Amino acid sequence: MAHAVISCLHANLAAVEAVLDDIDQQGIETITCLGDLVGYGPQPNEVVELVRQRNIPTCQGCWDEDIIDGLNACECSYPSQLAERRGHRAHHWAAERITKDNKDFLAGLPMTLRRGPFLFVHGSPNSQHEYLLPGMSAFAALERVESAEADTLFCGHTHQPYVRELRDGSIRMKLEKPGTDQSVEQEITLPIRRIVNAGSVGEPRHGNTHATYVIHDEIKEKVIIREVQYDVAKTCQAIIEQGLPEVFAWRLSHGFEYAERADDADHVCERS
Amino acid sequence: MTQTWLISGPPGCGKTNWILNALKSHAGPCGYLRLEGGSRPGLEQGRDSSIDWNWLKDQIPQLTDLRSNEDSGDYEQHESTFKIVELSQFQTLRGTEPDGVNTIVKAQLEELNLKPQRIRHFGEDPELPKGDTLDYNTLESLSIKLNQKVWDPNSLSSFWFELVNGAYGDVYRAKALMNLPDGRAFYCNWIVTQKGSQFLPLNAVEQPNGRPKRQSALVLQGKALNGLDVQSTIHDCLLNDDVLEMHQAQRRSQQPNPYQPAL
Repeated sequence: MAHAVISCLHANLAAVEAVLDDIDQQGIETITCLGDLVGYGPQPNEVVELVRQRNIPTCQGCWDEDIIDGLNACECSYPSQLAERRGHRAHHWAAERITKDNKDFLAGLPMTLRRGPFLFVHGSPNSQHEYLLPGMSAFAALERVESAEADTLFCGHTHQPYVRELRDGSIRMKLEKPGTDQSVEQEITLPIRRIVNAGSVGEPRHGNTHATYVIHDEIKEKVIIREVQYDVAKTCQAIIEQGLPEVFAWRLSHGFEYAERADDADHVCERS
Repeated sequence: MTQTWLISGPPGCGKTNWILNALKSHAGPCGYLRLEGGSRPGLEQGRDSSIDWNWLKDQIPQLTDLRSNEDSGDYEQHESTFKIVELSQFQTLRGTEPDGVNTIVKAQLEELNLKPQRIRHFGEDPELPKGDTLDYNTLESLSIKLNQKVWDPNSLSSFWFELVNGAYGDVYRAKALMNLPDGRAFYCNWIVTQKGSQFLPLNAVEQPNGRPKRQSALVLQGKALNGLDVQSTIHDCLLNDDVLEMHQAQRRSQQPNPYQPAL
């Protein structure tokens, strides 16, 4: 059975509608959303309402959490002072406009969703704010998947889709017998684990303007990263009309491989 | 014998890099002066804000400013003094006047008692590289003084990326001296004909005590430049006193204590 995973919708209605159309055209009925319904984009209420209307199981993203709890960022939330100030402007803009009903919906979203051996999170099993970057050390990546007791971990947050297979993982332990000098070494070989990052529907930063999401075929064990064209100009126009930072429209319209995230791939999020 | 050369060319053609190499390869005393070239209808000259002078002086500490009279006696007497006058000029100088120097420039040179033996123009003189010489039809200029300002390094990186990729208008040319909280400064240089930017560290590093004292500025040239957005983005990138002090306190704690005896 194939299911679709979408993430980081970021209040971009045109992109969300185009991606849902693409999923429908392929006859896929199971969709999971990894959060960040709001932030950056000009249609936060419209996007939340569409997700609610379609009954899409959704976990909470970092922007969704900020809208409910206020800003309380760890240093990894923003890679620079510039990104932080722009992010705060976008946050306040969305916080002023989100309806109580939609805010309650975001507040009720779970941190994680689990379906059999699959775990769905926004950032990492530790936090919605932690980035699982494709370049992070294999040990740290394996630790995130293994400690979450999942075979495949679906995440978003980086806005760059990727599939990473973690093979040949093992844990070596040295157990010391209390009161003696003796110890026993033990090695456990781990099965293949996988991290699948769905990229971003509403604010892609993978090198072109297309919205991305993934289709996972559980039977064939196959993951496809889908790219979907949408009316980028329409969203950019709305960003400018709504008075959001114009640079958001510029970024969206150019589709740069533009990483606004922590430089350190192994940074552990310290957000409380 | 003193040699004086006048090097002219349009913005971004590589004058400063060429001059740096020419002065560095000269063994004796040397002097430098940048003349503001004349603007033409639709073609606005960039105000240099001493970026070139400060960059060259950092790289060649013995370089003399030809505008100042200091040390002039010494190097006038020196047999091998090499003086370069840089002139940002959109059109070739030749053909406008018999000696290739127009009257406005000539008056400035006479006032400073400079008589160039050689006049070279980028885009015309075969001895000069031609690759980055552009023929501009229209050009706006924006100059922002940034003295005492210090950048958040990652913000500077994002701002520069946005700047040279068109977020604030069609920038053809960007040049700057930017201060970082670790006391370093970078000469940032970009021209539309080149793929990447130059980020060259200055040799001089400021002590971690307060705001930097060196000159700092940004000069842009291009079309439809959005000056207000540039200014407001820069404001979001600059460190306030508290954050700067936090960076500098960290640096001070890492410096060796001169009163602590070596073990």
